[in-house]
Amino acid sequence: MDVELIINGEEKTASIPPETTLLKLLREEFYLTGAKTGCDVGDCGACTVLVDGEAVNSCLMLAGQLQGRSVETIEGLANLEDFHPLQKNFEDLGSLQCGFCGPGMILSAKQLLEENPEPTKQEIQDAIAGNLCRCTGYTKIVEAVADAAKEMREEP
Amino acid sequence: MIRKGKGIGCMWYPIGFTVAANPSAATVKVNEDGTATLLTGTVETGQGSLTVLGQIAAEELGISTEDVHVVSADTDATPMDTGAIASRTTYVTGNAIKLAAEKAKEILFEVAAPMLNVKPSQLEAADRKVQVKGFPQRFLPIDEVALQAQFVQGQPPIGSASYNPPTVDMDPETGQGKPFSTYVYATQIAEVEVDDETGDVNVTYMAAAHDCGTAINPMLVEGQIQGGISMGIGFALQEEMLFDEKGVQINPNLTNYIMPTSLDMPDIDVDIVENFDPTGPFGAKGVGEPTAVPTAAAICNAIYDAVGVRITSLPATAEKVLALIKEKNEKDIKQLSPAE
Ligand code: FES
Ligand code: FES
Repeated sequence: MDVELIINGEEKTASIPPETTLLKLLREEFYLTGAKTGCDVGDCGACTVLVDGEAVNSCLMLAGQLQGRSVETIEGLANLEDFHPLQKNFEDLGSLQCGFCGPGMILSAKQLLEENPEPTKQEIQDAIAGNLCRCTGYTKIVEAVADAAKEMREEP
Repeated sequence: MIRKGKGIGCMWYPIGFTVAANPSAATVKVNEDGTATLLTGTVETGQGSLTVLGQIAAEELGISTEDVHVVSADTDATPMDTGAIASRTTYVTGNAIKLAAEKAKEILFEVAAPMLNVKPSQLEAADRKVQVKGFPQRFLPIDEVALQAQFVQGQPPIGSASYNPPTVDMDPETGQGKPFSTYVYATQIAEVEVDDETGDVNVTYMAAAHDCGTAINPMLVEGQIQGGISMGIGFALQEEMLFDEKGVQINPNLTNYIMPTSLDMPDIDVDIVENFDPTGPFGAKGVGEPTAVPTAAAICNAIYDAVGVRITSLPATAEKVLALIKEKNEKDIKQLSPAE
């Protein structure tokens, strides 16, 4: 089947078998390997991307459902000059270790900050609760999201 | 009813292998532009070890960490390293790197000494310069010295070294020996809330004081401790591999093998206890595995403080804690009832 969609602001088309997941489409058709295959069954959040601004587990979504919709992946966040404030604050605080959870973590946080520019610590913890991290204990991740929120409020 | 409790867990933990050889080797070369290249066989898995190892080389050579280019984990090109295990990288690999950088520095000093009219022993390396001790205004930029060493003296400033922690085998008769070259120490305090009607345990706070020698990179040390605490909480309360009688794991997914999420993490205060280990690179020891060690003990002691039951097998799931609370209540009632 054919699917037309927007990925990181660019129109794309692909011809794929109907059982292809969004995660497979991103990684294997478009070589956008930022979204990670952790469990492939919706448990870990490593594959999180934004579909029409909403964080989804891309391993659970069929690519066919994406017709005409807009997908944002971690590759779409930074430009050649600048990191996204979330990425910058994650880097400054050493929030990630192995980094496997990072793309999903940052995109879940991005959705949160778009909906709630001044989240409490509890709200940040809630927003990333579906993104498992084996390395960091989440502490510096939560701090970086709070710092990024502050930065984005100050210079929108 | 929610009952609160506090508990303490203390530990020591050895760095490196038990007596067995676990060497690291390293090569450091100072380039003619004043940067340095470090070759190490160890691998970065996110803990930040290559940053710390680069810092060690930079400190020894008196240059900035950004000036050190680290080449790692390529068995074709890098010297042997036992590996990123046994909490040994900062200590064992770090010592090898410090020794290698020292050798490269000695060549720089030999070359710079006649240029500055002093003996090599009167020189030190700091701020990208080779300078006379006590007279920092008499100096040569390190790139100039490296260039001179390489192309005029024909003595490229390269150092290679290895380090194997000194140990003494245990005497089979007395059990005496020195199985490790150094140890790290830590104390953690947990605060928990236990629901005595469901057995559910919630860790609300954790204080963690760790002596890892000199903290070469405090931010990374903190990250290791926070990560270790999340692993310790999983160990204490959630994580368990279950097998059927044929040995097949019955909970192979993250929906039934439960590990901590962001919601399971308490507020954490990390206290890095400054200490200098004379055998470590710039006084450093290590911080990897020990961070996971005292967490479960502190939590179990806090559970005892809250509801008076001793956990003797992990994880302390709600079912297990509730069964122990019921058992204790029955015993207490029996003791209270008058003798027949
Ligand atoms: S890979 Fe999609 S949730 Fe784990
Ligand atoms: S940094 Fe390793 S899983 Fe999050």
